[in-house]
Amino acid sequence: MALREEERDGAGGQDVLRRAGDASVLILTSLAGGSKHGYALIKDIKAFAGVELGPGTLYGALDRLERLDLIEALPAEDRRHPYRITPAGVTALRAHLDSIERVRVTGRLRLGLGGV
Amino acid sequence: MRLVQTSLRCYPQRWRSRHGEEAAELATLLMRDGTPARSIAWSYLKGAASTRLVLQPRRRLGAALGALLAAACSLGVSLALLSSSVPASAANHRPSHEGRHCVARGTARSSASISTRVTVKKPASNSTGSGHGQHC
Repeated sequence: MALREEERDGAGGQDVLRRAGDASVLILTSLAGGSKHGYALIKDIKAFAGVELGPGTLYGALDRLERLDLIEALPAEDRRHPYRITPAGVTALRAHLDSIERVRVTGRLRLGLGGV
Repeated sequence: MRLVQTSLRCYPQRWRSRHGEEAAELATLLMRDGTPARSIAWSYLKGAASTRLVLQPRRRLGAALGALLAAACSLGVSLALLSSSVPASAANHRPSHEGRHCVARGTARSSASISTRVTVKKPASNSTGSGHGQHC
């Protein structure tokens, strides 16, 4: 059972983002492209995912990710705090994307869609 | 904007001192882009509620314990009310029915303990005597 858990979580370790919510994954994905502040995050996420995060959701997810040490706030620039993904955040995002990838491959195989 | 400011006031002081100005500025930018102030305020309200729950786990634990206690108390009260609402004649009917009417006479007489128990449970009610022969 422990082996299966390890396999599912990937070689990079536990998928800590599994229960962090979609907003956290979207924010980490956005920050993987470079540090951003709140407004830039909302715009970028809308551009690549078509999801418009509410500001309350955004700050909730930012606080959660900061508590988990997956992102860090940089010194404020004109009242805005840019955020940056940490090495732990990169690892967590990679593990989560691997997990999603396995689900995607399995789903496509079972639906006979190919393209695996 | 006043609506947004009001919703931002719902956040804990610690949060406001850190994100307050930035959040207000973000709201201004979003409104400039065409996002309705009402939806921004609603988003901040929801965020404030969840932030309060996360930042104050002791209070959350206390609230959960309080809810459990209240549920237990209300259950106890309802049970007490239910038991008190059962008529006395109904409560008295059962032992007299089991002991006097339905147990075969031979069995009842052969077992002294049963008859003793029945005698003890026999309530001082005038319903026990009525209809004795009809049931059996």
